Amino acid sequence: MAAGPYNYSYIFKYIIIGDMGVGKSCLLHQFTEKKFMADCPHTIGVEFGTRIIEVSGQKIKLQIWDTAGQERFRAVTRSYYRGAAGALMVYDITRRSTYNHLSSWLTDARNLTNPNTVIFLIGNKCDLEAQRDVTYEEAKQFADENGLLFLEASAKTGENVEEAFLDTARKIYQNIQDGSLDLNAAESGVQHKPSSPRGTQLSNDQPTNKEGCAC
Amino acid sequence: MATYRARLKEFEDCLETEKIDVKHLRSLCFQGIPDGRGLRAKCWKILLNYLPPLTTDWPDFLKKQRGVYQQLLEELIITPGKQGSGNSREDVTFADHPLNPNPDSQWSQYFKDNDVLLQIDKDVRRLCPDISFFQQATDHPCERLVNAESGIETLRKRVEHTILKAANVGKNRLGITVTNVRCSTRRKVAVEEYETLPEGQEAHWEVVERVLFLYAKLNPGQGYVQGMNEIIGPLYYVFASDPNKDWQEHAEADTFFCFTNLMSEIRDNFIKMLDDSASGIGSSMQNVLTLLKKHDQQLWRCLEDRGVRPQFYLFRWLTLLLSQEFKMPDVIRVWDSLFADRRRFDFLYCVCCAMIICIRTRILEGDFSDTMRTLQNYPDGDIHVVLRKAVEICPS
Repeated sequence: MAAGPYNYSYIFKYIIIGDMGVGKSCLLHQFTEKKFMADCPHTIGVEFGTRIIEVSGQKIKLQIWDTAGQERFRAVTRSYYRGAAGALMVYDITRRSTYNHLSSWLTDARNLTNPNTVIFLIGNKCDLEAQRDVTYEEAKQFADENGLLFLEASAKTGENVEEAFLDTARKIYQNIQDGSLDLNAAESGVQHKPSSPRGTQLSNDQPTNKEGCAC
Repeated sequence: MATYRARLKEFEDCLETEKIDVKHLRSLCFQGIPDGRGLRAKCWKILLNYLPPLTTDWPDFLKKQRGVYQQLLEELIITPGKQGSGNSREDVTFADHPLNPNPDSQWSQYFKDNDVLLQIDKDVRRLCPDISFFQQATDHPCERLVNAESGIETLRKRVEHTILKAANVGKNRLGITVTNVRCSTRRKVAVEEYETLPEGQEAHWEVVERVLFLYAKLNPGQGYVQGMNEIIGPLYYVFASDPNKDWQEHAEADTFFCFTNLMSEIRDNFIKMLDDSASGIGSSMQNVLTLLKKHDQQLWRCLEDRGVRPQFYLFRWLTLLLSQEFKMPDVIRVWDSLFADRRRFDFLYCVCCAMIICIRTRILEGDFSDTMRTLQNYPDGDIHVVLRKAVEICPS
């Protein structure tokens, strides 16, 4: 029944940003493949991943753009922010410098996405408690002050990885429900699909824009 | 077998002359260099303008270059390492100390270098994980550095030292200062996932690390950019597997010079400021799309309509000379042709275009996500099919 090309009702676009080596690609890999990739190579430009999730009984396809962290690639990766419904901003709890750079990443995220973009702060590598360099409390405070969702997670053990991606989707979905996210806006980062087109238009992958009210 | 032998003979005839006909050599290499007998290492060194065409000059030339490299090592790594080791840090004086804010401070430079070194270290440890080569010990470590008695601070130690030990100091209710036990369990972050070889040995990745560090120090305007490790990887792999023991021993020095030459041709790809210039990555990506539009308009239109932008895949293909798209043997085969290209690197555009065309059915039948996945994880296949297609496309 749900085997057609429209076995999901929405597409949400995410981006993952943060300093090099904080584990952005590993988080993506853990989320899409449910495995930890120890030899994960650095990202040149962007990597792309998808997964279909379910929120409130609705199937949602997440399109995730994992960006390169090194400064040289900043100009290239900036072009991916546009039209993101969710931004996962990652730092490494064992390296303070990656935490200190968050305000610069946040500035980019705020300037280059729309006001409704849900920004989720992730403190990665929380399995390395002995090497902790940034406390939970100060990061939590930073998140609260800036209106960000926040969790500490581990791409290695998988702890809180699902939660971070799913909570972001729930928040976006909630914004759609309460009308604060306008799906007709060109850069909402959300595409709505007719839920069951009864097998018509099979060849056309491009989702039609929102039809009717999403409420 | 007969053709293999015939090809070997062609190469040997071409190389065993007093003055190599580089044009002829190029056309031979373009078809692929036969494995074995160290032919590839030799040809690449010629194609990358390292070895001069006059073979009689080679012994003196190589001796000189390898001496120059030793000198660079001495000045930029060994001597500073001597100062940096042990308790007798000569540069600790009232004039210079770790908190000296003066930009000329040796300490300030030391810390800056260490940041670069940490970046390189992270990337070279995970170099080419599909082959075990880089994790193995080299037969030719830098004796001056690995010898435990030398007392020189090696790069390995510098990376360890960079992670400072931290301790939480607090006072308990009686006013007694207590140190949190955490400090004793703190491990070295950088080496967590990997074993380091015992003292006196060096893994191949450590040699690569040293070369990249030297390159970054000698090219401060550009420094180290991620992806350079992927460029140097195949070069070093070919040179360090040379059956000619004498040449294999000097793989490090030869890699340094060939890498420097190669970078001088492609470095614009690594400089952000040039992204939109005529020589930068932006125009290179456009070149590929122009070719695609000319040779397969339908496919070009499909990618265009679907919003599959060149930055999503061509950026990496071109910047890394395709080194991350194929397995090592195929990368090496592609590079034979790329290096033999008379107008370096125009043929690269043709290969990229051919790669897209070779998977046209998959692209046309898929949706945006499928296309992205396919382009970012190029499917396994016969590399020669891609190369033949590229030659077809190539404007002569």
